[in-house]
Amino acid sequence: MDFTISDEHRLLRDEIIRFARNELSPGVIERDRSGVFPRDLWLKCGEMGLQGLPVPEEYGGAGLDPLGTALALEALGYGCEDGGLTFAICAHLLACVVPVWKHGTEEQKQALLPALCSGRMIAVNGMTEPGSGSDAFAMHTQARRNGAGYRLTGRKTFGSNGPVADVALVYALTDATRGYHGGVTAFVVPTASDGFSVGQKFEKMGLRTSPISELVLEDVCVPDDAVLGGVGGGTALFTESMEWERICIAAVHVGTMQRLLEQATSYARTRTAFGRPIGKHQAVAHRLVDMKVRLEASRLLVYRAASRLDHARDIALDASLVKLFVSESLVKSALDAVQTMGGYGFMTEYHVERVLRDAVGSTLYSGTSEIQRNIMAGWMGL
Amino acid sequence: MEAMNATVKDYILTEFLPGERPDALDESTPLITGGILDSIATVRLVVFLEEQFGVRFQPHEMSPDHLDSIRAITDTVRAKRAEHA
Repeated sequence: MDFTISDEHRLLRDEIIRFARNELSPGVIERDRSGVFPRDLWLKCGEMGLQGLPVPEEYGGAGLDPLGTALALEALGYGCEDGGLTFAICAHLLACVVPVWKHGTEEQKQALLPALCSGRMIAVNGMTEPGSGSDAFAMHTQARRNGAGYRLTGRKTFGSNGPVADVALVYALTDATRGYHGGVTAFVVPTASDGFSVGQKFEKMGLRTSPISELVLEDVCVPDDAVLGGVGGGTALFTESMEWERICIAAVHVGTMQRLLEQATSYARTRTAFGRPIGKHQAVAHRLVDMKVRLEASRLLVYRAASRLDHARDIALDASLVKLFVSESLVKSALDAVQTMGGYGFMTEYHVERVLRDAVGSTLYSGTSEIQRNIMAGWMGL
Repeated sequence: MEAMNATVKDYILTEFLPGERPDALDESTPLITGGILDSIATVRLVVFLEEQFGVRFQPHEMSPDHLDSIRAITDTVRAKRAEHA
């Protein structure tokens, strides 16, 4: 496999890094502290095309292939210190925009994608329920036939972008007897619909600039053309969106790990103890080398998976493998960066304690590490 | 047809019912509704069928209608092959 980066990709990467450093990172400490979603920066990201990276240009996207999308998100993870904003973009793009692009009717794509890609419309994914987290398809939300449409009733939780979203991609049971195998349907539901409310808003340990909430559906009526991907097609649609999400969020983590490594290495080269730079002490040097190994292994896994994303049937296995390894590597490397920088690493102004808090979420969202291991065990015939 | 039937049965026995007696699985044994195939096993079975028989399944076809028994599976594969013959 050859993952040589083209000149076009290199230019895009450099442009995103410069944009993220200049426009997105300043003020992140205050935003994180107050837990504010930066809508102005979100719209700037839309102008850069970040919310529509893989979507064809005719629908307002940037038209990148999956590997190009991963490279762009890696650049964003590297340049953008606001992990919550990056996460909000990923939740919107990978779990919502990608399914509309892949499975929407021509009318749905024309109506939704230009606004979703530019950031003028914000989307939230409604899958997880209070009683069904990792067992995502053990859902209770129902969609019953109601004249020329459906009536949706249920409660979703942990909806990233929920408090600011204009549209929700809601998964609901249309045939409880079929369940996972053809009984789940995806609906595009405007959050301004009668009966739709945001519910509880949550405060988080990390990713604090990405707002998150419940989504409450009390007899929300939607027309037939709110169905995305056909009645009973929700499972295939959700599964595919998770493949994109697990691989492409991992690309963001690769960029973040690169930034952590550079920061920790720079510190170790200049900070002295016992008369020499601390990087000359093996205990510190070996920790930094381990960060380097995790970074490079993660990068290769992401590139390989992204290059297979649009055509390999067993990509679900790759996606779980990537998600597990890269998210756990991110947590370890964030801890290593804090440890290397000692007391300074613990201080907010050095920016690594926030990355550590953000990183803890990565082994939980988009399927916990335990779920990724379960998926891989299934593929291994165990 | 018999060969296809035997190939599919052998795969299911080996991969999803290890240690089970071959006569416990017949042409009409419910695979999905009977709990033998979970979600991942269903996708693995489809990957096997696609590679083995040179056919392609659509996402909505990964359902009990097409995959709930060895008979349903072989009927589906045969129909797909006939379409492209």
